[in-house]
Amino acid sequence: MIDAAEESPAAPGPGRSRWETVQPWLTLACRVGLAAVLITAAVTKYPPALSVEAVEAYELFPPEIAELIGYTLPLFELALALLLLIGLATRYTGIVSALLMVAFIAGILSAMARGLSIDCGCFGGGGQVDPGETTYGISIARDLGFTALGAFIAIWPRSPFALDRALGLFR
Amino acid sequence: MGSEARKRARERIKEQREKEKKAAQRNKTLLVVGAAAAVVLLVVGIGYVVLSSDRGDDYEGELAQQTLQDDGSVVMGDGSVVTGDEGAEAPVVEVYADYQCPACKQFEGLNGDTLKEMAAEGEATVQYHIVSIFAQQPAPTSSNSLRAAVAGRASADHGVFVEYNDVLFENQPNSNEEGYSIDELEGWFGDLGVTDEQQAAFGERLEQEDAVITEFTEEFVPALMSAAEEEIGQENLGTMVLPDLLAWGEDNGHDTSFLDGTYTGEIIDATGTAYTRYSGENAFRGTPSVYVNGELLDNDDAMTVRGLTDTVEAAGPGQVESEPADDTDDGGGAE
Repeated sequence: MIDAAEESPAAPGPGRSRWETVQPWLTLACRVGLAAVLITAAVTKYPPALSVEAVEAYELFPPEIAELIGYTLPLFELALALLLLIGLATRYTGIVSALLMVAFIAGILSAMARGLSIDCGCFGGGGQVDPGETTYGISIARDLGFTALGAFIAIWPRSPFALDRALGLFR
Repeated sequence: MGSEARKRARERIKEQREKEKKAAQRNKTLLVVGAAAAVVLLVVGIGYVVLSSDRGDDYEGELAQQTLQDDGSVVMGDGSVVTGDEGAEAPVVEVYADYQCPACKQFEGLNGDTLKEMAAEGEATVQYHIVSIFAQQPAPTSSNSLRAAVAGRASADHGVFVEYNDVLFENQPNSNEEGYSIDELEGWFGDLGVTDEQQAAFGERLEQEDAVITEFTEEFVPALMSAAEEEIGQENLGTMVLPDLLAWGEDNGHDTSFLDGTYTGEIIDATGTAYTRYSGENAFRGTPSVYVNGELLDNDDAMTVRGLTDTVEAAGPGQVESEPADDTDDGGGAE
């Protein structure tokens, strides 16, 4: 992992490949995009009473835990968005974001497998819906896309406008 | 000391430097990850404290007077506690809820006590409308919803609706499993310290309603749905709420007279009234719906303690539109 960070300051000037020029901007785009997604997800989950309901609909947790998740998950999403925007611990934030999306996908798959008819509650909403109105496929595809953004950031963390740079990481 | 030895020494120094550089890099990474973790803890921690501050206090005080209305709803408080004036001086908060609806449970858990307190202090007149938005769904969702609804309605005959309402939401079953059994419903009622006569009347009423609910959810609705699906198509059917469906049924030979005079019928009527009573931005679309003086609250106002409190404080006096039920009615079915 440290290798990538060490290699990158090398090869300035004409030896620089096209990828090396383009990649930091792609990573920046991923950071901003994923942060926008996370902020939207967090804000639409307000007020927390509805977010708790969305978590309970998955029928995976006892009520106390569901309530805790309902309150803290949107905050966690906000915190990740903040880290992505300021570019702190970029690689690790990317990993955690991708893992979070994988956890979401697992949750949706489990709801599907148990025959629940719920809204994923990814961007607000949530709770029971008519069996014909579930959109598990779309939700999973969307989350796969977000996982890819997180993975891209984790693999190529070097990007402009990042606090990491000032601190000497992923330069 | 040949040049070989010097070269080796130089290499050793170089290796040493590499190692140190790597160690420094590792420390830097740890530091940055630590800082990031601190940011996460800070955001989640502070946010949690802020969000939790909106959770209202439990209200343990005396409940305001509760009055059964002629439409089967229950009014808590009359807004005249403070002023002593006849008639409503306080804003009217109307709550439409289905006992099988998870968001309604959240609303009750969050703001149930807020309403009790506001009613007790004369800051609001609260009107509870029991509805069943799930009545046309397959059992057990529909039958759970209706059984709890008629039990709530029956509890109002004995003046303990507000207390019983809490118990029903606390015990909300999973919508895919049979719940709110007659035994449970009677047991919870008995826990409220009612008399033996009340318990007997309540039990008898529930037994009668149970048969009606079974007929409604297992025979009437499935037959009506399949007929309607054939005649008007799945797509149009999807847009029809229960009152539309029942009206269509009436025109096509699906007799609803078995619902006459039952609380099941009353709940279904109340649900229909909710759909037709409001229009435009205030239209009733589902539960929970909270109206202050006839204006529908959005989620930010209804589902936060501060939102509801502020909205009610800012509202002017309101008027309860229904009339109190006839006192001589001993639970024999308001129309």
